[in-house]
Parts: sequence; C-alpha cells; structure tokens
Amino acid sequence: MKSFEALFFALSALLTVGGAVATIGSRRPIRSAMGLLVTILGICGCYLLLGAELLATVQLIVYAGAVVVLFIFVVMLLGPAAVSGTDKASAIPRYVGATVFGVGALGAGVLMRQLASERLTSTKLVKLPDGFGGIEAVGRELFTTYVIPFELTGALLLVAVVGAMAVARGKQADPTRPNAPVNPHLADPHLADSDPSDAQSAINVKAPTGEPSSAATAANAAKPPTGEPSSAATAAKPPTGEPISAASAANAANAAKPGDGH
Amino acid sequence: MTQLPLHYFLALAALLFATGAVGFLIRRNLLVMLMSIELMLNGVNLTLVAFNRIRPANHAGHIFTFFIIAIAAAEAAVGLALVLAFFRLRGSVRADEATLLKH
Amino acid sequence: MTDSVFVALAPILVVAFGGLGLMLTEVLSRRPAREGNHESGPSSDLALGTFVTMATGAVVALSLWLVGPENLAGAKAALPFLVVDRFTLFFEGLLCLGAALTALMAGGYLPEHKLDRGEFYPLLTFSTVGAMVLAASGDLLSLFIGLETMSLGVYAMVGFRRGSLRSTEGAIKYFLLGSFAAALLLYGGALLYGVTGKTDLAGIAVALKTTAGADLGLVLVAMVLILAGLAFKISAVPFHMWTPDAYEGAPTPATSFMAVAVKSAAFALVLRVLIGVFGDAESMSWATGWPPVLALLAALTMTVANLIAGRQESVKRMLAYSSIAHAGYILVGVVAMIEPGNDAQASVLFYLLAYTVTTAGAFAALVLCGSRGKEAVSYEDLAGLAKRHPALALAFTLFLFSLAGAPPTAGFFGKLYIVRAGLGAGLNTLTVLLLLNSVIAAYYYLRVMVFMYMREPAPGAVVAVPMRSGYVTSALVLSAVLVLLLGLWPATSLHVALDAAMANR
Repeated sequence: MKSFEALFFALSALLTVGGAVATIGSRRPIRSAMGLLVTILGICGCYLLLGAELLATVQLIVYAGAVVVLFIFVVMLLGPAAVSGTDKASAIPRYVGATVFGVGALGAGVLMRQLASERLTSTKLVKLPDGFGGIEAVGRELFTTYVIPFELTGALLLVAVVGAMAVARGKQADPTRPNAPVNPHLADPHLADSDPSDAQSAINVKAPTGEPSSAATAANAAKPPTGEPSSAATAAKPPTGEPISAASAANAANAAKPGDGH
Repeated sequence: MTQLPLHYFLALAALLFATGAVGFLIRRNLLVMLMSIELMLNGVNLTLVAFNRIRPANHAGHIFTFFIIAIAAAEAAVGLALVLAFFRLRGSVRADEATLLKH
Repeated sequence: MTDSVFVALAPILVVAFGGLGLMLTEVLSRRPAREGNHESGPSSDLALGTFVTMATGAVVALSLWLVGPENLAGAKAALPFLVVDRFTLFFEGLLCLGAALTALMAGGYLPEHKLDRGEFYPLLTFSTVGAMVLAASGDLLSLFIGLETMSLGVYAMVGFRRGSLRSTEGAIKYFLLGSFAAALLLYGGALLYGVTGKTDLAGIAVALKTTAGADLGLVLVAMVLILAGLAFKISAVPFHMWTPDAYEGAPTPATSFMAVAVKSAAFALVLRVLIGVFGDAESMSWATGWPPVLALLAALTMTVANLIAGRQESVKRMLAYSSIAHAGYILVGVVAMIEPGNDAQASVLFYLLAYTVTTAGAFAALVLCGSRGKEAVSYEDLAGLAKRHPALALAFTLFLFSLAGAPPTAGFFGKLYIVRAGLGAGLNTLTVLLLLNSVIAAYYYLRVMVFMYMREPAPGAVVAVPMRSGYVTSALVLSAVLVLLLGLWPATSLHVALDAAMANR
C-alpha cells in the first residue's frame, strides 16, 4: 500500500513539476496552457493523496474546465500574435530576481524537512475522520462557519464580471447609421489625440454584426508573422508609440475616412 | 489516507510556487505571465491542503483553497480582458511592448 | 435592535446594496444615445446616486461610532471574519469619504472626456466594499477576499479608457504586479496557517506566542513574504514600479481613488497584520523584528520618490510620485509604533485622513483644469491659471500647501503628529530624513504655483476653455473646506484617530 502511494505521489509530482516547467519554458502560449493543464492534473493527484476529494473535483472543474479553457480561448483569439520572440529589453534585473527566487525555493524545498519542525512533518500522520474532505463535511463548514466570506465572494465575482466587461467589451457601432462617422471630433487633430475611446469605436465600425473584437483581430491578422510591415500593421503599431497611434490606427482602418495627416 | 511525510508535499508546493515566480519574472509574454501567477496560486493551494492534513479537526485549509480557486478564476477573467484590450491597441502580447509609460 | 449582525455591518451593506441599486438603475434606464449631449449620459444621475450611497455609508459609520461598537451585540456574530470596532468604523468612514469625492469627480470627468459609461460607478462602489471589508477583516480569508475585490475593481477602473494605450498599459502593469504581490501575501498566509493551524489574526498571534520557537524558519519566510506583498500594496520603493504608470494612465478620478482609498485600505491592512499577527514584543523590537526593514523601506521610499518627483514634466505623474513619498512618511509613523503606548498609530490614521481630503482636492483641481477630452497634464498646461481662474488656482494652491505640510492646512498637522511620534520613539535619523524630504517636496509643489501665478498662458492652452461641472466643483469645495477644518481645528479628528487606534492594539 505504501509503495503504491509513493508511486502515485511520484507520478503526481512529476506531472506537476514537468507541467510547470513546460508552462514557463514554452515559446508558444498554447503549449504553456497545456503545461498548466498537466500541472493541474498533478495537483489533483496530490489532493487525492491528502484526502481532499471535493477539492480535487473542484480543481478539475474550475481550473481545467474553466480557467485553462479561458486561456486557450484567448490564445486562439490572438492567433500567431500570441507567440513571443526573444526579449528586447534589458533583462538583467529580472534574471537576478528570478535567480533569487529559484535558489531560495530550491533551498526551501530541500530544507523543508529542516525548516518545519517534527510536529509538522511527522511521518505518523493522524488518521483522518470519516468523510474528511468530502462534499458533505466541507459544504457544512462552508455554509455555517464560513458563510460571511462566502457571501463576500459574491461581491468579488460581481466586480470581476463588471470589470472584465468594462475593459474588454468593444463599443458596438450604431447599426442604424452604418456610414456615419462614429465620432465627429475624430477629424479634429486636437481632439483625436486624446479621444481614444472613440477611436476604438471607429475600429469596430467595420464589424457592425460580429464580435466587437473581431475587427481589431482582423486588422492584426493582416500582419504577417514574419514581421513584414503591412500598412494596417504599421498603423496599429507605430514605432513612436504615441497615444495618437490609436487614432491613426482607427483612421487607417476606417476606409470611408482617410487619415487627416497624423 | 496517505502515510507519506508531509514535507514531500510542502517541498513540491514550494517548488511550484517558485517555478511560477521565476516564470513571472523571466517571461515577457503577458499570457505566460498570467499562467505563472496561476502556478503560484496552485502552490499556495497545495500548501494549504497539505497543512490541513495534519489538522483534520476542521477544513480551514480546504475552504481557504476553495476561495483561492474562486479568486484565481476572477483574476484570470479580468487579466485576460486586460490582455485583450492591450492586444487590440498594440497588436502584441509582449510586456516589453508596454514602453509608453516610462520614468 | 442593536443585537442584529446587520446593524453592525450596516456601512458595508449600505454601500453594497447601493451599488446593486445603481447597477439596476443603469441597466433599466434606457437613454437615447445622442452625440455630444453630455446630459444624456449615465453619469448625470449615477454620480449623484453613488455620492448619496457613499455619504449614507459614511453617516451610518458615524452613527455606529456614536452608538459605540461595544454596545452592538451583533458585532460578535461576524467574528472572526469581520471585526466591528472603532478602527474599522474610522476606516469605513474614511473610505466612504474618499469614494464619495471620487464619484463627484467622475460625474464631471467622464462625460467631459467621452468615457461616459455606467460601469464606472458599480466598479467604484464594489471596490469600496472590498476596501471596507479589508479594513474590517480579522481573518486572513476575508482579508484576501476584500483585497481582491478592491484590486480587481481598481484594475478595471485604471483600464477604463480602453481605447487608450496609456490607460491599458497602466492597468496591465498594475494588474500583473498586484496579482504577484497577492500571491506572495497568500503564500505567506498559507505558511502561517501551517505553523499555527489558524487563519484568524488573533488566533495566529496567540499560537505564534506559544509555539513559534519550533518553526522559526517558516515564520520568518512567512514574514518576509508578507512584508514584500504589503510593500507592493502600499507602493513602497523598491516595489513601486507600477504606481506612476498606473496613476498616469488611469482616468483622473480613478487615479484619485487609488491615491486615496486604495492607499488608506492598504495601510489599514498593514496595521491589522503588523499589529494583529506580528505585534508581540519580540517581532516589534528593533533587533529581532520588522521595524528595521520598514524603516529602510520608509527612508528609501521618501527619498527616491521625492528625487524622481522633482524631475517630472507631468503634474499628474508628479502627484503619483508624491503619493509614493507620502506612503514613506506614513511608514515612519508605522515604524514609530515600536514605542509602546505612544500615539504613533493615531498619527498614522490622522495623516491618512488629512492625506485623503488633500489629494482628492488636488486631483479634483487637476480635473477642472482639463476639458473636452484633453487632460491638463504638464506644467505648461497650468501656466497662467491664476489669471484666468483665480478661484481654481487658489484652491489648487491650498491643496499644494497641504501636501507640502504648510500651516494652516490639514497636511501640516498630519506631518507634525508623525514627526512627534517619530521623535518620541527615538527615530531621530528617520525623522530628520522626513523633514529634509519635505523640503525637497516643497520645491516641486512650489513649481506648480510658479507656473500658475507667474507664467503667461500659452495661446490655445487647455485651461483656456475650462470644463464646467457642478459635480467637480462641489468635490473641490468639499475637500477645501475639510482641509481647512482639519488644519484649523485638528483636535476633534485627532481624538477620533486616537480612539480608533485604541481599538487596534
């Protein structure tokens, strides 16, 4: 029995660490997402070994079923642009930080036996009561002792929903006026500079029916992965990086309205 | 259930947390940075569940983990929304493209 | 009636249900989208609604203060997750005040800058709910939920101008570093749970006293992780990288909310954790605990932030660095808590109150200087303001005086009490450093005044056509009155701060 458990733990730990290394090491984000999935499966195994049956299920449903799928969805949405090349900026301070963390953690991992007292690491673990970690026991505590945090989570999820919507939702074009310029001020260079939220809507006016993001994505799909500058890609990614770029990108995208000199 | 010593799990969790932290610090791809944060939170969760194993009188660690999973999902939603908004404007998901604001 | 848990939690509930009501109002009221008509946007009524909600929250907190939390039998029912004491009520009132001023600013700013979308106000209210939960929490679990509720709302508010690269970049940086800091805090919390078997702060403190010796290594790791996470949240140097970017990129009301409410809540978190968990004599001693670390952070934060702030060309960014520097001053007060029995914590609370009204006023003045989608950001934008709008320039000057710590403003007494607490605790070097830094800071605050009073306005500058908004003007007047009140009669609010500090010991 013990050797089976040790084997199961070794397998889970291998999956966890291997997946984690794949997550941070892959150049392609889709492989990173798969690595994350493998890590989650490994952790699931650990949860089962520790008697946390409900959590193992929740981990599978929420992490593997929702979070990783969300990541994969975004990776698919971004297409080739999701792949990152080599770093341009100086990375020395970050590598120093990473080394500190890596060495510290390796040390901590190796020394965990020493760091934690016998009280915490005893091999003679207490016998678990019946139903420990099961849905009934956890659920009972969740809705009695922990009912206040549970209610507070409502506010957390609400704010996440509203926040994600406020940030990511593109403005829908007015379907009744397909050819009208969305923003009358866009021609005014003084205003176009600082009126980016309307510039955003000008991008999206080309996609009156579809997803708000599709127009922007389409504009970027024109950019070849090799980095050859097409006109749309150049407009969307000017070298200067001024805020005016949003407006000029919008003007380039809006064929009905030629750019007005910036 | 298990008779494996607890520090096996604690060491694994520490490794996982550190792998996530290292990934967060060395990678510049926003998506991978978000996934690294998920790895770190998973390390925290494993620590909590492992410590709950030696204190079976209640489920404090389990329930803490339960809430962290909810927090992580909410965080991922907002984070991916921000990445999408950034991508629409920049056409890239590289963190070092975020150079407009400096000093 | 006073034995109901709902009465004890009334400030949080009022704000939460007010936020729900505002969301429903926004969804159910369909306005015709007319171009260029500022009156038709959701801001016209949501801003007022948010202000009323927040004011109600503050009034409820004040009445609970007058009743006395010790007379509320229901307050015990929420333990250990939410603690209802004078410390909590003080922060609930303070956060509501900051959010109310932000709502007024947003009511003028969002329509003027064509950002008039209704989501801003629910985000603001629920972030405030999170901040209030954070200040009230007596358990790691509610602490993290409050922290994340507040942070997620603020990330979205920073990125609210989603068509602007600056706004989105600021939000991404803030999000990534904020989540990283939260993960560090969580790991520290998990280790504390492992050592003590408790998640409530009081229980952890008791367990640490009795059994800490066995697991000193783990406790130390936990303390380092928690301190690093806290330093991120209060944007102490060297964990401040996100602050200027997020502050500059965000719409100005969101900047004000971050500078005011988020900072206050972060310091409430610091006080709760440092006193609640690491408050024993050994952890609080100069030789074996956190004070030297925090003293180093305070010195670095003040000095670096002030030196960089003087070199900024953007007033908004200068205010961001100045807010980092103020976090450094407050940290001096936190370190001064090592001397038991002195008023260091009260001085921190008073400083937060003074800083809230001052900073909100300064940002409201900055909002008023911009118009029609163009923010006033650089010093040149403010040139000649005194000639065109003397009243606005006068108010701005008042807030700058208060930020610099000149009498007779709120900022003066804030600094005075911190300096007194610092000297009382024997932190002579740190206190002298604080005073030196105030001198550096006075230079760049004066520079704004020089531009406002002594430069000629550039033709076609933004301030030529100022925005007119009753909302922002009332925010400005309200903060100016409060700054003067706190500066002329500080005794009452100091007593309030002392009472609040007594509760968290």
